[in-house]
Amino acid sequence: MSELHNYLLVGAVLFALGAIGFVTRRNLIMMTLSAELMLQGVSLNLVAFSYLHGNHQGQAFAVFIVAVAACEAGVALALFVALYQRRKTLDIRAWRELGEEGLVSGTGGEEPPIAPVLPAALESPRLTPAGRVPDISKRRADNRV
Amino acid sequence: MTATLLAQADWFGGHALAVLPVLLGFLAVWWLLPRAKVWPRPVGVLLGLAALAGGGVTLFQPGAAVTQDLLFGFFALVAIGSAVLMITNRNPLYSALWFVVVTLCVCGLFLLRSAPFLAAASAIVYAGAIIVTFLFLIMLAQQAVGVAAYDQRASQPLAATLLGFLVLGGLLCALRPERTAVFAAGPALAQASADADTGGQGRTLLSYPPALGPSPLSQRGNQPLGTVRGLGRSLFGDYLYAVELAGTLLLVASIGAIAIALRTPRRKS
Repeated sequence: MSELHNYLLVGAVLFALGAIGFVTRRNLIMMTLSAELMLQGVSLNLVAFSYLHGNHQGQAFAVFIVAVAACEAGVALALFVALYQRRKTLDIRAWRELGEEGLVSGTGGEEPPIAPVLPAALESPRLTPAGRVPDISKRRADNRV
Repeated sequence: MTATLLAQADWFGGHALAVLPVLLGFLAVWWLLPRAKVWPRPVGVLLGLAALAGGGVTLFQPGAAVTQDLLFGFFALVAIGSAVLMITNRNPLYSALWFVVVTLCVCGLFLLRSAPFLAAASAIVYAGAIIVTFLFLIMLAQQAVGVAAYDQRASQPLAATLLGFLVLGGLLCALRPERTAVFAAGPALAQASADADTGGQGRTLLSYPPALGPSPLSQRGNQPLGTVRGLGRSLFGDYLYAVELAGTLLLVASIGAIAIALRTPRRKS
């Protein structure tokens, strides 16, 4: 039965590609997407073995994988929104100070620059004024009289 | 016994030959759509007629294994190619869309392995819900025109790709067909082969450990695969506590996501 071998092969390739994407990409969104790609490879393995054994255990595990992936994506995206509101960038290396001290990155000086941290004044959107500012206090006073 | 079960489990087999007419119909519709320069219409009409005739014929014919192999090749190749495009694309938006293609192809592979419920669930959850939230995040976070600077260059591409393909090579060596064949031949044969080699030579990576005997997870079920009923009995019978835990996990994750993403008004200093 070489069919099982084929499916395991596709799952392994998807897993390896997801691992490469997780390590190389510097965008937080891309890293999460690559992790989801790895999960796809794993659930393909589970479904292939479920078909081989003729029972539903593998499919049940794959359903749990889908549930956990949904939780992971929700929490990760909420975290990314919170992180983006602080730094205005999705670059993973903007949060390098969260890691250990003194880790050598090892790229040999070829690292692309980290996006600059914007000053706090730029964090809130600036709207251009449209029209004159209505005088609310005077109108309220008129209504009371 | 097992042969009849496998025949029953072949959920996709009856519908496999219906794919060719669908393909022809797709070609016909695509050919006939309006364009700037009109393509010859009789070709499209002929394609559509062939699709209709093929559909009529295949409705009365049993499926063949050749179509399954073709479908497997198509889904596998498109999934792998889309995965490569996904991790190499510079724009996260296009990467998310390629991930949708990968997900749909994996769902096709699920269908070929008699898991229709799982295919539907992962199509809805991955390609529907998760990707939409990703696109919302991209819309919120990447409003600048063009590709961000941190997407232009990957970090350590050579070392990371080498690592990934070393992992892949190791996996492929472990999953050689002659090694998986012992496992695929069924628990009885694997047990026999495990009992046969006493000195440990010839033991494969995927063979059962001789001391433990066949795994309880490998007991062949007595219901056909591919039914939602069987999967539901497995989920709510064998894995009831796990289902409850998964529901609790979803609840906690949603509460946590709301609590994390809530924007507290910042005090002006």
